[in-house]
Amino acid sequence: MESATRERFAERLIDAIGADAVLTAPEDLAVYSFDAYSEERLPSAAVLPKDARDVSAIVRIANECGEPIVPRGAGTGLCGGAAPVRGGVVVSFARMNRILSLDAANRRARVQPGLINLDLSKAALPHGLFFGPDPSSQKISTLGGNTGTNAGGPHALSYGSMTNHVLGLEYVDGSGEILHTALDDFGYDLTGSLVGSEGTLGIITAIDLRLMRLPPAIRVFLAAFADVETASAAVSAIVAAGIVPTALEIMDKLIVQAVEAHYHAGFPLDAGAVLLVEIAGQPDDMQAGERAIGEIARAHGALSWRSATDADERDALWAARKGAAGALGRIAPNYYIQDATVPRTRLPQAVHRIDEIARAYKLLVGNVFHAGDGNLHPLLIFDRRERRQVEAVIAAGTEILTACIALGGTISGEHGIGYEKRETLPLVFSSDDLATMGRVRDVFDPKRLFNPDKIFPSGAVCGEVRAQPQPAAGAGAWL
Amino acid sequence: MAVNSAPGTSGYAFGERAPSRVITPESVEQLAAALRDCDTKGEAVVFFGGGTLQGLGHAPARYDVAVNLRALNHVLEYEFRDLTISVEAGMTVEQLNATLAERGQFVPLDAPQTARSTVGGVLAGGWCGPRRAAYGRPRDALIGTTVVLADGTIAKAGGMVVKNVTGYDMSKLYCGSLGTLGAIVRANFKTLPVPQTRRIAIARLPERTHRRAAEHIASLDVEPAAALVVQGFADDIDGHDGIDGRIFLLFEGSQTLVDRSTRELRSALGAAGVPETTLFDAGAGMAFARLLDAYLVRLGDRSVTYRILGLPSELLTRWETVSRLAREHGLNLETLQDIRTGDLIARVSATLSGHVTERIPGFDVALHSALPRIAVLTAPESLRGSLAMWGALPPSLQTMRALKARFDPKGTLAPGRYVGGI
Ligand SMILES: Cc1cc2nc3c(=O)[nH]c(=O)nc-3n(C[C@H](O)[C@H](O)[C@H](O)COP(=O)(O)OP(=O)(O)OC[C@H]3O[C@@H](n4cnc5c(N)ncnc54)[C@H](O)[C@@H]3O)c2cc1C
Repeated sequence: MESATRERFAERLIDAIGADAVLTAPEDLAVYSFDAYSEERLPSAAVLPKDARDVSAIVRIANECGEPIVPRGAGTGLCGGAAPVRGGVVVSFARMNRILSLDAANRRARVQPGLINLDLSKAALPHGLFFGPDPSSQKISTLGGNTGTNAGGPHALSYGSMTNHVLGLEYVDGSGEILHTALDDFGYDLTGSLVGSEGTLGIITAIDLRLMRLPPAIRVFLAAFADVETASAAVSAIVAAGIVPTALEIMDKLIVQAVEAHYHAGFPLDAGAVLLVEIAGQPDDMQAGERAIGEIARAHGALSWRSATDADERDALWAARKGAAGALGRIAPNYYIQDATVPRTRLPQAVHRIDEIARAYKLLVGNVFHAGDGNLHPLLIFDRRERRQVEAVIAAGTEILTACIALGGTISGEHGIGYEKRETLPLVFSSDDLATMGRVRDVFDPKRLFNPDKIFPSGAVCGEVRAQPQPAAGAGAWL
Repeated sequence: MAVNSAPGTSGYAFGERAPSRVITPESVEQLAAALRDCDTKGEAVVFFGGGTLQGLGHAPARYDVAVNLRALNHVLEYEFRDLTISVEAGMTVEQLNATLAERGQFVPLDAPQTARSTVGGVLAGGWCGPRRAAYGRPRDALIGTTVVLADGTIAKAGGMVVKNVTGYDMSKLYCGSLGTLGAIVRANFKTLPVPQTRRIAIARLPERTHRRAAEHIASLDVEPAAALVVQGFADDIDGHDGIDGRIFLLFEGSQTLVDRSTRELRSALGAAGVPETTLFDAGAGMAFARLLDAYLVRLGDRSVTYRILGLPSELLTRWETVSRLAREHGLNLETLQDIRTGDLIARVSATLSGHVTERIPGFDVALHSALPRIAVLTAPESLRGSLAMWGALPPSLQTMRALKARFDPKGTLAPGRYVGGI
């Protein structure tokens, strides 16, 4: 944008929502120029609305000026979703971070999008309730961002992803109108359409969420395996036996060592892979649950099986598991975290393929993933100063996705498509499939101002050339 | 593909409004070609599964062709070790349940009349039953779909994995759209292991125990999979009413857990002044199926059944409102009060058929001015035109209209059937 136009745009924003809510100085904008996937470009402005009316005003002004609008939670997204790749205005929800109501009797809460995920569970705790989806980033990521990406997390295995917990939304559409949708309204499920739309359909300004009763009994177990493939086979077998624990997470040796160096949680350092199992529910079922899962694990090559003795140890193991990516950031120069899902019987084959691909590209790979869902997260380690390594990481990443698709899987289980995978999307969906999704976009955002260049591939029609992705996460960029 | 013209169309009429032909496509491609053809010619189409949920919504504003989807009824992939299944959506729910049962699995659809209802119909009708508090709604078990749009486009969404954020979650949009956006032809689900034990608990409610019993049930340590207060439905649902009706609970889980929970239930109900609880495991599945069927059972042409939504904490107040209105309009009222989900199912009826047309429309108006979220589940065809059918218009109706226009610009698919006349 011309600098005069930019000034005029900023002035109008200031008139509408106040000078203290509009940032335009390059040094202030730098933090809004990237997310945990990539460093991109400076937006024209960043705004900090205090309510839906502010958001509506921002959308109207951006609309009139033809400026892209990029909603942003905590910027922990791993696919470039919150990065203003085409400039425009970044809408931060840092000032909209309150719980608007918590209705314990009906187990629901209404929150603003800037609320940190974990803060909701903390507020619900005195009522014996908690919020189910717990992305590993839950201490820092926001519920608006979680809704935007349809975030999962370790407990998605039994509790489901965000979409299974969002009961209704307040949102601002492409024309700046403030609208409401609820699962209990009759009519099309707009709620389900907005969840996971990564900021491309509307700006979410309030979220109604389902809370759940805290399970009276929780047990966590650790099983050690010779390698990731064996551990994966055990997970496949547990699921095939019709057992759905609350979490089944795998970490390989590299990750365990990084995690232990920082957290000292008590993971076995010598194992090739560790399986973290959680079961939750009524105390009556715990013993039988442990026995059934333990037997399958042993029959599938578990070298050891140990139970966390108390809540403190359990919490320590979970803290370490959820801090795994950050811990790796302390020892690796940079890493590129992939996210793909395969049918659960295909896990051993998938991890085998990932290993082969990493070897072929001479890359070091760490694995820490939501195994029970078949949701893989290989972390490809590289040094961003080495161009060859960057190229290898990108090529290997694509090859891993292709391999997972060939196994009947898909290219994102929870992180989203964003900017990162939009050119990969046609590997999964036909042009008819994508055009059908595009019809929804046409309705919510006909001018394509909400988060442009995300999710949808750059059409051959406009002859856009694919920009080189810049995986730049790592080195504790966000922790 | 079979094409029938009258008189083969009688099962597909909405009152006076009958289609000029019924087509039964045997493949997705045939369906796509047929739809494209109708769309080009400006013929209006209504999709049929088992027809169990055709009581929902308005009669179509225009109606030329009925599309019977029941020939698309095959299991496409059953990866039971992955706990996933993909079926053609014209399959009956009974057939789906039987396939899953062979592997000790289920999908919590809670559909009524499973011998007739089809998977696609249950999804398109936005059906959700009493176990949704425990297992989620059908939409939550749905991991992928293929649909055919009005212009013949075949579009898929989701896939065969249980966790997926690849592209828009289109499947949610088709659920509950009542065939106004496209035909669901393929549905992929994640399945669940069948619980070890299933137990039904039924108890008569003596006078003035209704409220306390509901409160005690809501705070049970082990939550039942389904928990309802039933009033009436004597021929449809097991058990006998006391003065305040009866409790109908379903417990699912391990034997030890179900044993403990039913012990606790007995003492909780005892404390609420409910002396006797009948428990049974054998036949629990059948009893639960009868409960589900009751949602759609009509008393000849003399009753209308409503689904009245709201928060669980307001269930009793809502029930009181509906009871008062039924009394004021001289109608019999039978209810299912779903303690866990807050749903209130109300079947109002008149003994004399003359009273049906005289009284129910007035009741309908009063009901709608008292409560916002109401849908008719089933009504005599003769009354459909005089009932509001969908309750208060949703706040995002404008967006819904725009979606309809974008997916079906010519209004080919079930025109006028949906909310706000979509
Ligand atoms: C260490 C680490 C661990 C992680 N673990 C997990 C995990 O276990 N599971 C998982 O799913 N993800 C995980 N993630 C990824 C990330 O945390 C999630 O994608 C999260 O949901 C992003 O939330 P955020 O607040 O940071 O949103 P952002 O990154 O700021 O935004 C995410 C997307 O949502 C959109 N958005 C944000 N706010 C709104 C709004 N109000 N209205 C509309 N759209 C909006 C943005 O435009 C963007 O497309 C992890 C990330 C890190 C760094």
